[in-house]
Amino acid sequence: MKSLLITGILLAVMLSGCSKEPPIPDIPEEYSSWTRMNKEELNYPIPGHEENYRIIYINETGEEARFTENSGTPSITYPKGTIIVKEIYKGFDIQADAKPNSLTVMIKDPDYPDSRSGWIWLVKDLNTGTKTVISQEFCVTCHSNANEKHSFGGGNPGNEFRDYAFFTPPGAGLQ
Amino acid sequence: MKGYVPVTRKINTIIISSLVIGIGVITFYFGRSLSLEISDSTSENLIRQSDILYSSIENFMLPGEAPLAVSFFNEIESRNPDYMISIRRTDGQKAFTDSRTINQVNKNLKMERFSPRTEQAEETPDPEVYDDYFTKAVSIPPVTAVFQHDEGGTVIFQIYKPLINKPKCTGCHGASHTIRGVIEIKSNITASVRQQRSTIIIAGTLFFGMVVILSLFLSQFLRSIVISPVKLIGDVCRAVTAGDFNHRVSIKNRDEIGDLGKTVNQMVAGLHERYELSKFVSSSTIQSLTRDSKGKKVPITLLFSDIRGFTSFSEKTSPEQVVELLNAVLNFQTEIIHESGGDVDKYVGDEIVAMFTGDQAPLRACTAGVKIQKELQNYSQERYGGLSVGIGINTGEVILGMIGSEARADFTVIGDNVNTASRLCDAAKREQVLINESTFTHVKDSIRFKGPYRLKVKGKDRYLRIYQVNAILSVPGKTEEPQA
Repeated sequence: MKSLLITGILLAVMLSGCSKEPPIPDIPEEYSSWTRMNKEELNYPIPGHEENYRIIYINETGEEARFTENSGTPSITYPKGTIIVKEIYKGFDIQADAKPNSLTVMIKDPDYPDSRSGWIWLVKDLNTGTKTVISQEFCVTCHSNANEKHSFGGGNPGNEFRDYAFFTPPGAGLQ
Repeated sequence: MKGYVPVTRKINTIIISSLVIGIGVITFYFGRSLSLEISDSTSENLIRQSDILYSSIENFMLPGEAPLAVSFFNEIESRNPDYMISIRRTDGQKAFTDSRTINQVNKNLKMERFSPRTEQAEETPDPEVYDDYFTKAVSIPPVTAVFQHDEGGTVIFQIYKPLINKPKCTGCHGASHTIRGVIEIKSNITASVRQQRSTIIIAGTLFFGMVVILSLFLSQFLRSIVISPVKLIGDVCRAVTAGDFNHRVSIKNRDEIGDLGKTVNQMVAGLHERYELSKFVSSSTIQSLTRDSKGKKVPITLLFSDIRGFTSFSEKTSPEQVVELLNAVLNFQTEIIHESGGDVDKYVGDEIVAMFTGDQAPLRACTAGVKIQKELQNYSQERYGGLSVGIGINTGEVILGMIGSEARADFTVIGDNVNTASRLCDAAKREQVLINESTFTHVKDSIRFKGPYRLKVKGKDRYLRIYQVNAILSVPGKTEEPQA
């Protein structure tokens, strides 16, 4: 009886360990009151979001990130807890009261099991409320181009390390 | 015998089951591990190669050297015939086979940067595309698909790795789409699979052979050290049960089985001695060895039987014949007494003293007495030299105990009732069975009798009230005799 009980407990512990998945992080409701990262209108097509209008916000934690120079190359690394929310609207013809279709979110948390290059890459479908962590090498593949010269927005003419974000906060030091 | 399963079969079943399960699990695990190992290593290999190809494509494409990428793929294929590399567009068509992409790139660049191809373009999607996996590879988010399939006896391990339209690709290819296409790598693993199969078959055959050999070996080993000795012990026990005490277990094992054989031999020797002793000693004496030997009063029915005219008979007959006929008379009486549940307490010359105890002891004693007389009535001349006996039966309390000296003693009965039984026997004429009132009370409804008579016996002031038993009734209360 005793051994049966111990076996049962061990089995339960093992099974609970097997089935435990990390919780999907929440996206703060008030994100639209955060600082906008992009000055210009993002009304041009890009792979991943294609021909859809976009607005990007960053939380206060991320806003505090600054460019530093190490070995002569400027770089910026966002602190843990940084959240960058990108609203995706349908098409480019957006009315004033238009609502976004989905959110694509970068959350800085290198300890999260499914993080890629230090970020959790999250998609929320605002029609269904479904949140999905993109664990494949997809978002990060494109965003790795942010760390070198690219052809979006202001580009990255200085070839700085931009920590996988194409835009930087207004007070970060370089634009 | 229903439900009887020989130990040999049980042990063989256990051995074979253990071996099949034990070695089977190992073989299965080995085969499965081998299969997974090949699959995993091939998969990892292909994914690594697809990553390298991905980087190569990027590096060839960025400076506008697409033809170099095609040459690179062809070079890899020519060096390794088991590999097939291609790039497919999102609609499944093979890339680099027509001018569609070149025209689009020139349009995006607003210049004739690349010269269109002269070959005929493929109009239809390649039928070799595996839709389910391909669809996953070109969906959002795209999933690298690794799978195995059979193409006409050739086992192919295949990968679809999505080719993402990175920002740096958009200058030529435009930014309106996310997935540019799919890198397809096919690896012919037929040889590996064959080798894997043959390894598993060889392992399985070896496993089977090992099971057979180990089963035979263990079975033979157990047969020689356990089963055969146990059978020998069983044979000896069966012989002893049949009354043959001459068999002995012949086991030379120096182990528990050998000890058991020795113990059985000692036990058989002891049983033999006891059996031989039982011919000379009454059952009550033998039983007394395991019981309290102190004297005690017990209710009992005593049967005394004495040969009539034995002295004159012995004077006229040779000693050999006397002993032979006396033994014959004592022998058949003893058999009848035993059949009737009695026990011969002792032989005193030509006299038998027998005891009956327990349920219906008086009736069983009378039955024995009547049977003895009937045997002699029928066969006295023929078998027993014309000898006859007189029988006296008495029922009452006697003193039972070990009587004798330290050197020699008998577990026997003494007391007034013993003397009375002896007196009744003395009074009985040839072919008579006499009982007194105490026995008659118990059997009166079950016997045919004559009496009562009065008998004056030595040592008693009063006459005894006695009866002559003539027959035992088959149904108590009826005067019908049983068939002899």
